[in-house]
Amino acid sequence: MYILSVESTCDETAVAITRDGREVLADVISSQADMHALYGGVVPEIASRSHVEVISRLADEAVSRAGIKKSEIGAVAVSYAPGLIGAVLVGVNFAKSAALALGVPLVPVHHIKGHIAANYIAFPELEPPFLCLAISGGNTMLVDVRSYTDMRVMGATRDDAAGECFDKTARVLGLGYPGGKPVDDLSRGGCDTAYKLPRAHVEGHPYDMSFSGLKTAVINIVHTAEQKGEEINRADLAASFSAAVSDSLVPRTMECLRELGYDKVAAAGGVAANSRIRSDFEKAAKAAGVKLFVPPLRLCGDNGAMIGCQGYYEYLAGARGDSSLNAYATMEL
Amino acid sequence: MLTLAFESSAKAASVAVMRDGALLGQYFQNSGLTHSRTLLPMAEDLLRNLELKLTDIDLLAVSRGPGSFTGIRIGVATVKGLAWALDKPVCGVSTLEAMAQLGVAAGEGALISCAMDARRSQVYNALFEIVDGAPRRITDDRAIAVAELAAELKAMGRSVFVVGDGAELCCRGLAEAGIECRCAPEPIRYQCAWGVAACADMSRAESGADLAPVYLRLSQAERERLSRMEGAK
Repeated sequence: MYILSVESTCDETAVAITRDGREVLADVISSQADMHALYGGVVPEIASRSHVEVISRLADEAVSRAGIKKSEIGAVAVSYAPGLIGAVLVGVNFAKSAALALGVPLVPVHHIKGHIAANYIAFPELEPPFLCLAISGGNTMLVDVRSYTDMRVMGATRDDAAGECFDKTARVLGLGYPGGKPVDDLSRGGCDTAYKLPRAHVEGHPYDMSFSGLKTAVINIVHTAEQKGEEINRADLAASFSAAVSDSLVPRTMECLRELGYDKVAAAGGVAANSRIRSDFEKAAKAAGVKLFVPPLRLCGDNGAMIGCQGYYEYLAGARGDSSLNAYATMEL
Repeated sequence: MLTLAFESSAKAASVAVMRDGALLGQYFQNSGLTHSRTLLPMAEDLLRNLELKLTDIDLLAVSRGPGSFTGIRIGVATVKGLAWALDKPVCGVSTLEAMAQLGVAAGEGALISCAMDARRSQVYNALFEIVDGAPRRITDDRAIAVAELAAELKAMGRSVFVVGDGAELCCRGLAEAGIECRCAPEPIRYQCAWGVAACADMSRAESGADLAPVYLRLSQAERERLSRMEGAK
């Protein structure tokens, strides 16, 4: 079955055509990152305006690249939560009316479940159950993927998302937005123990995380140095910061994996593209003798294919939306 | 020719079906529920009750702004989805032009002021005149301070009939400035999909991909950035 899938929860508009979940025929993405870079972060109103401008053309391009006719589409899947509400509304309303007019089922998809599903596209052999660390600009959580649609959050950040922390660090280091890639690039030549940065623990909740203290520590180091007129070693700070984030994520994930007794661990979301986190994961997985799955870069960021993939499994599980489907800024997994 | 029209520019939302200029049906809801939840079900119900299918529709129409940014986008995104799936043309209609249709009630020769609450002490406004039983445009759509509008009307020296969700707000300001004005009575005050359908015209239709909202205003972030850049000069 062909699924048309729509994603517009943040600053990427994406429309994809997938077949039976795992085969991607077309994945068209329009990124607004350059637009938001002028403001040092995503401006919700600008994001929403851009989504509504481009969405029809992306859908046209997806169908044409996939080489199918609209009449062959069997369902429409849409990322309906969580996200910037004005942005999500565009995708949801486009998808709803397209499904109604095509006379096909509408399948609501949780955005984070979509990120996790990016792994199914990258790794045809991967099947639940497994543990997934979902890390993006808006979310950071450890998810027990018990089946394609039944998931349980084992732990999550109590404050900032890991990606948010990268963006703030990039900003204070005078790097561009989004901050993930420039911080990663800068950290490569740096010493990861040069700056002492906190690794937070949430008392009584071993799998929960906290990044606000780390963010504040980085900001303080930079500001204190500025006030004293001292030079900071930016590469060292970027490397020390990346190590601190990775230390907050990787050991917890491995501990949780041991508790669940799974032999598969996956990562998902934009921050999974970080090279330090990737290499730490590789080492930890090798030491523990478990299989690690990290999707390629293009599937880590927001895309339509992951929504189509998860949408297929949600469809099989009977999930349906009708023309009253709404968009939501927040939603439990 | 069958037209299916959507209006979601302010608190109320409505959907109408028109055949060759005559209203077949309209569904209007002013409940405060989000348009994202109510707009498409209204269209679905209305068509079912009219024993029509989406594929019977020749022209889609939508109020493309000005108005609530989010409200307009819900209407425009809804129509874009329909247009894309059905391969049907769309006519984007000015919210103010659509509500000017309500001014026909004021009679031949009447001056119509269309008004929506634009916040920041402004109204989205355009002036029309009823000529041969239909509104004829006098000004472009704009965001304007009520005091500025009052000065403009004073210079024209005419009484004015005010329609739209900002009619009360506008009338209050105009009356204070000594302008003779009449606020449209409640049942014919609010912009509605019938007005959108009445303004829609196949000769002005475009593809859903080309349809774009008209906000008349930059986003707050863009405005602030521009004023910072002005300040830096």
